[in-house]
Amino acid sequence: MRFLALILAGCAASLAQTPLDPSAAEWKSAAAVSLALNRTPPLYSTDAPASLDIASVELRLLRGAAGNFVRLEWADKTHDTAAIAKAERAWQSEQLVKQSDATNRFNDACAVMIPARPVVGDLSPSLQMGDAEHPVRIFLWDAARGAAIMEASGRETTKRTGQSFPAQGQYKDGRWTVTMQLPAWPEGTPLAVAVWNGSQQDRDGRKYFTIWFRPR
Amino acid sequence: MPEHQISMVLDLNKCLGCQTCTMACKKLWTDGDGMDYMYWNNVETRPGQGYPRNWDKIGGGFEDGKLRPSEIPTKEDYGQTFEYNYAERLFQGGPQAMPQEEVRNTPNWDEDVGAMTLGENYYFYLPRLCNHCTNPACLEACPRKAIYKRAEDGIVLVDQERCEGYRYCVRACPYKKIYFNELLGKAQKCIFCYPRIENSEANACARQCPGRLRFVGFLDDPTSAVHKLVHVYKVALGLFPEKGTAPNVFYVPPFNPPRRGSYGKSVLEDPRMPMDYLQYLFGGEVIDVIRRLEGELQRAQNGSKSEVLQLLIGRDDQVRYQIPKHGDLIQLPGGRKA
Ligand code: SF4
Ligand code: SF4
Repeated sequence: MRFLALILAGCAASLAQTPLDPSAAEWKSAAAVSLALNRTPPLYSTDAPASLDIASVELRLLRGAAGNFVRLEWADKTHDTAAIAKAERAWQSEQLVKQSDATNRFNDACAVMIPARPVVGDLSPSLQMGDAEHPVRIFLWDAARGAAIMEASGRETTKRTGQSFPAQGQYKDGRWTVTMQLPAWPEGTPLAVAVWNGSQQDRDGRKYFTIWFRPR
Repeated sequence: MPEHQISMVLDLNKCLGCQTCTMACKKLWTDGDGMDYMYWNNVETRPGQGYPRNWDKIGGGFEDGKLRPSEIPTKEDYGQTFEYNYAERLFQGGPQAMPQEEVRNTPNWDEDVGAMTLGENYYFYLPRLCNHCTNPACLEACPRKAIYKRAEDGIVLVDQERCEGYRYCVRACPYKKIYFNELLGKAQKCIFCYPRIENSEANACARQCPGRLRFVGFLDDPTSAVHKLVHVYKVALGLFPEKGTAPNVFYVPPFNPPRRGSYGKSVLEDPRMPMDYLQYLFGGEVIDVIRRLEGELQRAQNGSKSEVLQLLIGRDDQVRYQIPKHGDLIQLPGGRKA
């Protein structure tokens, strides 16, 4: 595997408050790396391939005592999100229920995938959600449903852990900026990024993805 | 392939279009948050747009063994869910109770409209539910394997824990009988009243039906009414057989009387509704089925006994439902596998 290398600036001492705000001053000093995005092939052979409307995602990283802060930024002409009411009374009767607003919309989203166990040498897990020996953790942020931590050990095994993590998203001038506060990981750990474009009906394996990237 | 397959046969000649089944299902299963627009059981007028609108014209199912592309219907395709301005009408002296939004489509939008042939109107009611297909396109399409078909009775269910709401299933189902709950972010569908079936009790839609037109039992149980109607008398057909999912809900097609003034003629000679419409819904075999039914009718009219018609009358629950206890399923007498 070919790795992109980058020297990332940012030091623990400067992290007095969390740079979860996408426009926080700390991010100005963090170097950006542009990761090329690819489209997954169609899930069914009868579907046409989706177009590559988003060419790349910009990644910034701040490493500190409170964990690692990741900032993803990408251009997306369509702002696909919705305020979704929380279901509270599912399966109860005699009350006015909250309604589903739409049946066919999908939300913009992004995710950072990292190996769940320390990696040995240059070896990275399978990009398709790892495998049984090399499980991964996925930090998913969805414009409508918020942040969720998932685990996987191979394709079709992704599972919600029930845990969340601090994240913030901002859509401005046709660009998404999403910041995430993730647990610290050992030096040399690779990460991969995924981006979903709701208006392209992206969800699940229908998405944009980067290859593994090793921050140095 | 399940060990046993539960099934329902509906005699369309007896459906009143009363929607009692629809409401029985709604009250029992889909009155929760996010489920407002879902009718796991619906009754639509045919010919007509159906629910969701144009579901029969947007693909899905299989073609050459592969999933045929389709679409996810919009909420308006299913029909708007609106409130009336009751408070305004009742407490503020408003002129009349009106929907609070402009209504463009509802699930039963074109009720009783039908179509015309040669100056005569025709239509019939088509009650629809998930077909608990032998080859479910919904299950095939799910990349998370969240949909499963139970071995003991062939009921198709969505594991609500595994489901991530991707809606590949909604797209794949040629009958559009699996729905998306946006609030929960999950796919939901007809569960064939499995808690009732497990208790030897027929589905709520069947039990509530004043037309007594629904038969429930195991297809592989040679003593069941459904087995006889489908496999022995061969008077019941699945909807859109060419969609390739092998549905397990069957219909006795509308007998299709001759047009006015053609009394005494064969229904195939001067049918009130165009035969090609029935063929569109039930496949080419529908002609043979109607011939068979006409033969039975003639026999009865000539004073002989027609077992088929006797069975279709469905006098009481014992005639219509044969639902063995789950523990007894294993002992189904020598029936072929469903
Ligand atoms: S009718 Fe549709 S939802 Fe029901 S089992 Fe068949 S394919 Fe699945
Ligand atoms: S309850 Fe029976 S008669 Fe009434 S609409 Fe449903 S299937 Fe038809």
